Amino acid sequence: MNRRAFLKTAGAVAALGALPSIGRAQAKEVKLGYILPVTGPLAFEAQLSLNGLQLAVDEINDAGGIKALGAAKLTLLPGDSQNKVELGNSEAARLIDQGISALIGPFSSLVAYSVRQVTEKNKTPFVLLAAVADNLTEGGLRYVFRVQPNGKAMSTLTMNNMFAMAKAANTPIKRVAMMHEDGNFGTTMGNHVEAFAGKLGYSFVQRIPYSLKSPDFTAELSKVKASKPDLLVISGYYGDSKIIAETAAKLRIGVHALVGLANAAYSNPKFIADNRELTDQLFDGNYWHNPQSPRAKAVFAAYEKRFNSTLTSHGVQAYTVIGVLKDALERAGSADRDKLRDALSKTNLADHILPQDAIKFDDIGENVNASPALLQVQNGKPLVVGPARFAEAKPVFPVPRWHG
Amino acid sequence: MTADLLLQAVVSGLLLGGVYGLVASGLSLIFGVLRIINFAHGAVMMLAMYTTYWLFTLRGIDPYLSIVVTGPLFFFIGMVIQRVVIEPNRFAAEHNQLLLTLGLALFLENLALVLWQGDFRTVRPSYASASFVVGEALVEVPRLVACGGAIVMALALFAFLRLTDVGKAIRALSEESEGAMLMGIDVGRIRAVAFGIGSGCVAVAGALVTPFFYVAPDVGESFNIMAFVVVVLGGMGNFVGALLGGFIVGLAESLGATLLPGSLKQLVVFALFVLVLLFRPAGLFGGGRGR
Amino acid sequence: MAAEVFGGLALGLLVLAPPFLPPYFLEILISVMLFGYLGAAWNILGGYAGQFSFGHAAYFGIGAYTSTLLFLRLGVSPWLGMLAGGVLAAAFGLGAGYLSFRYGLRGPYFSLVTLAFAEMLRVIAVNTKAVGSSLGLVIPSREPAPVNFVFAGKLPYYYVILAMALGAVWITRRVARSKLGYSLLAIRENEDAAEASGVDALGMKLRAMAISSFLTALGGTFYAQYFAYIDPTITFGPTVSIQGLLQAIVGGAGTALGPVIGAFVLTPLSELSRAAVRGRAGVDVMLYGLVLILVISFLPQGLMGWARRRR
Repeated sequence: MNRRAFLKTAGAVAALGALPSIGRAQAKEVKLGYILPVTGPLAFEAQLSLNGLQLAVDEINDAGGIKALGAAKLTLLPGDSQNKVELGNSEAARLIDQGISALIGPFSSLVAYSVRQVTEKNKTPFVLLAAVADNLTEGGLRYVFRVQPNGKAMSTLTMNNMFAMAKAANTPIKRVAMMHEDGNFGTTMGNHVEAFAGKLGYSFVQRIPYSLKSPDFTAELSKVKASKPDLLVISGYYGDSKIIAETAAKLRIGVHALVGLANAAYSNPKFIADNRELTDQLFDGNYWHNPQSPRAKAVFAAYEKRFNSTLTSHGVQAYTVIGVLKDALERAGSADRDKLRDALSKTNLADHILPQDAIKFDDIGENVNASPALLQVQNGKPLVVGPARFAEAKPVFPVPRWHG
Repeated sequence: MTADLLLQAVVSGLLLGGVYGLVASGLSLIFGVLRIINFAHGAVMMLAMYTTYWLFTLRGIDPYLSIVVTGPLFFFIGMVIQRVVIEPNRFAAEHNQLLLTLGLALFLENLALVLWQGDFRTVRPSYASASFVVGEALVEVPRLVACGGAIVMALALFAFLRLTDVGKAIRALSEESEGAMLMGIDVGRIRAVAFGIGSGCVAVAGALVTPFFYVAPDVGESFNIMAFVVVVLGGMGNFVGALLGGFIVGLAESLGATLLPGSLKQLVVFALFVLVLLFRPAGLFGGGRGR
Repeated sequence: MAAEVFGGLALGLLVLAPPFLPPYFLEILISVMLFGYLGAAWNILGGYAGQFSFGHAAYFGIGAYTSTLLFLRLGVSPWLGMLAGGVLAAAFGLGAGYLSFRYGLRGPYFSLVTLAFAEMLRVIAVNTKAVGSSLGLVIPSREPAPVNFVFAGKLPYYYVILAMALGAVWITRRVARSKLGYSLLAIRENEDAAEASGVDALGMKLRAMAISSFLTALGGTFYAQYFAYIDPTITFGPTVSIQGLLQAIVGGAGTALGPVIGAFVLTPLSELSRAAVRGRAGVDVMLYGLVLILVISFLPQGLMGWARRRR
C-alpha cells in the first residue's frame, strides 16, 4: 500500500471521529495496549507476561522496528485490570482512546469475556493472553485472536500426546481418572477430558472435583484408587497439586503415570525445586516453548540476562503474541486497526518458538495449530517429551513408582 | 463402598481432626474468657506458618523444633493484639466485637499478601515422604505427627488450666466472670493471657501442619471455618469438647468426601454446623455457653 | 436546614452529572451505588433489627441465579425474573430466619449460621451442573433491549441502580418510622425486654428479614444484568456479604443514609489505595480491615452516627 492510500485511510478514520493519534503513529510508533492484572492476586504472573512483552518489543525495536511502516517503533501502553471486569473494560476503553492498534491481554477469562465486547465495538484487534475459556472466540466476533491453545485444545491434545506415548511404550491406557479443582479452570478441563473419552477410546472411570482449600485429599484419592485407573489427570493449582501428588505417591494408586493438565505446579520450576523428590517423573501437559528451536534458546538467554530469572511459559506466550503482531503489521503495512485485523486473520507464521507448526488462525480467531507440550520432570528439570518432533528427552512411561 | 475406603476415611479424618481440635481449643479458650468469636484465628495460624517457613528456609530449623520459638512468639503477639485492638473495645456490642476480629483478619491476611505476595511456599523436610499402612489405610507420618502433637498440646493446655493458678483464674473467668472479678482476679491480665494462649495454640497447630501443607496468605481460611464448626460442636468454652469435636468434624469431612460426589464434603460439615447451632447450641457434649 | 440543602445538591448531582462523567468514573459510581444499595438492604436486618447477617450473599445469589436462569432457559424478562428472585430469596430468608430465630440464635451465633447457609448454597451451586457449576452463567451479548434489562452503554444501568438505591433508602425510612421500625428498635436494644412488653420479636424480625432478603436479591439481578456473568463464588461468596455489611457499618448501621455514605467513602478509598501502592496486591482489602477496626473502635455508630452527635 502506498503512502497516499494510507494517508487517505488515516484521514477517513480520523474523520469518523476516531483516533487522531493514528495519524501521528504512522510515522513514529505503533501503539500496542496491554491489560494485565498488574496489581492484585495475579500480579506475579502478570509481571512474567509483561517481561515477555517487553523483551519482544525491545528486540524488535532494536532491530529497526516495523520496516513496512518506515521503521516505526512499537510502544507498549499499560493497562491494569486488577483482575476486575469493570476495570478491564475501562482500561480497554481508555487505551483505545489513546490510539492503540491492538490490545493484548487480559489474563483472566472472565475479564476477557467482557473486554472483547469493548474491542469488538471499537473494531480493535484483541489478542488474548493466557485467557483459556473456550467461549471467548465464540459469538461471531471478528477481532478476537488467540495464539495459545484454548481449553479444548489443551485437554484433547494432551490426552493425544499421552496416548501416543503409551502406544509407543506398548502400555495402553484404558481407564482414566481425573481430579480437578472445582472452580472454572478445573471444571472446564474436566468437561473436556470427559467428553473426549469416546473419541480416544478410554473409560472415564472417576471424576472428582475438589475444593482448593482442603488440607487433605486422602479420601478422594482412595476413591480414585478404588476405580483402578491407568492414568490420573490433575488440573489444579500449586498447593492442592502438591498435596495430591504427595498423598497419591504414598497411596500407590497403581496408575502408569500422573499427568497434570495445565497444572500450575507440575512443570513449574519453583515447585520442582521446592519439592524435588516428589516431582520426579510427573507429567504435565502445558504451555511451553519449543526446546529444539535455536531461536528459543536465544530468547531464553536474553531473558535470563535481562531479568535474572528463567523465562516461564507466561513470558513465552507474551513474547509470541508480540511476534504475531509484528508479523501482521509488516504484512498490513499499516497500523490501522481494520487492516491489522485482516492481516492477522491471514497469519501464517513459522518463525516462532512454540512447539507447533505455523501459527494460523481459523475463522473464529483460534490458532489452528496451537499445541501444548507434554512435559516430564526428569532429574529436577521439566523436559519436553512430546509431541515427538519437539521432544528433548525420552519419556519414562510407565512410571515405576506410581505402580501399585 | 468398601470397608477399605471407609477405614481410610476414618483414619485420615481422625488424623486431620486432631489438628482441627487443637486449632479449635485455642478458639474455644478465647471465646470462653473473652466472649468473642475470633475471626482472626486463622490469620494468626497463617502468620505462624510463614514464621515456620522462614525459620526452615533461612536457618534450617526443623518445623517441629521451631515450635519452641513459634509458640511463645505468638503467645506474645496474641497478648499484644488483645491489649491493643480488643481490650479497648471490650464493652462494645457483641456483634461489633465480631466485626473487630473480622477487620483484623482482613488486615492480617492482606498484610501477608502485600509483604510476601501470593506465591505458594512449601516446607519439605526429609521425613515428609514417610508413611506406613495400617491394614489397608495409609498413614502419612507428617500428618500423624501433627495429630499427635496436637493432642499433646491440647493435653498440656488442659493440665495448665487445671493445675496452675493462672489456669484456674482463666477457668474461673470463663465460667463465672463476675464471681471471678469479685475474687480479685486481675481480669485484664487474664484476658490478655487467654488470648495469648489461644494464639499460641493455633500457632503451634500451624507449625505442625506446615510440613504437609503449604504456605500462602489465605492458608488460614481452611482451618478458620473448621475451627468455628468444631467450637460450636464441642461447646463454646468447653476445651475438651473442642478436641473431641475436632475428631468428629474431621471424620464427617472425610466420610463426606468418600460417600458424596464432587466437592460436596463441605456441605456435610456445614450441615452439621447448622444442625448443632439450631438444636444443640451448647454443643454435643454440653458444658458450652449456649446461645 | 443545611443538611437538606446539601442533600438536595447531592441528589441533583447524582441525577444530572453522570452523562458528563468519563466512563471510568461512571463505572466507579455504579459500583458505589450497588454497594450502597446492598448495604441499605442489609441494614434493615442488621442495623435496624440488630441481627448481623454474615451471609447475605445467599439472597444476592438467589436473586442473580433466579432471574438469569429464567431469562436464559425460559426467556422470561429479567425485570420479572428480578421479582421472582426477590420472592424466592424472601422465602429462603424467612425459612432460614424462622429456624434461626425460633431456636433462639442471637448475636454471633446468628451471624455464624447465616454464614453457613450462604456457604452451603455456594457449594451446592458449584456442584450442580444445571446451573453451570463453576463455569457459571453467561448472559450472551445481544442487541440492547430495555424490556429485557439489556441496555446500550452504562448510563441506563446507572440510573437503574440509582433508583434502586434511593428506593432502598426510602424504604428504610418508611420502615424506621413505622410500627415495625419501633418494634425493631426495641428488639435491637433489648430483645427480652421488648418481648416482655408484648412485642412479637419473632414476627418482627422475620418481617425485617423478608424485606432485607427481597431487596438484596434484586441487587443480585442487577449485578447479573450489568456484568452479564455470574458464578457461585461471585454471587454466594463471602465477598458480597462482607461488602454489604461494611458499607452499612462504616456509614452508620441503623441510619437510612448510612450505607450509601459508607459506599461513597469506602469505594474511593480502595481505589486510591490501589493507585497509591501500585504493584502490591491486597492493599485495598488491608485498608478495609483497618478501617473496620478503626470505625468499630472510634466510630461505632459509623459516620452518620458521628455526624449526628456533632450537631
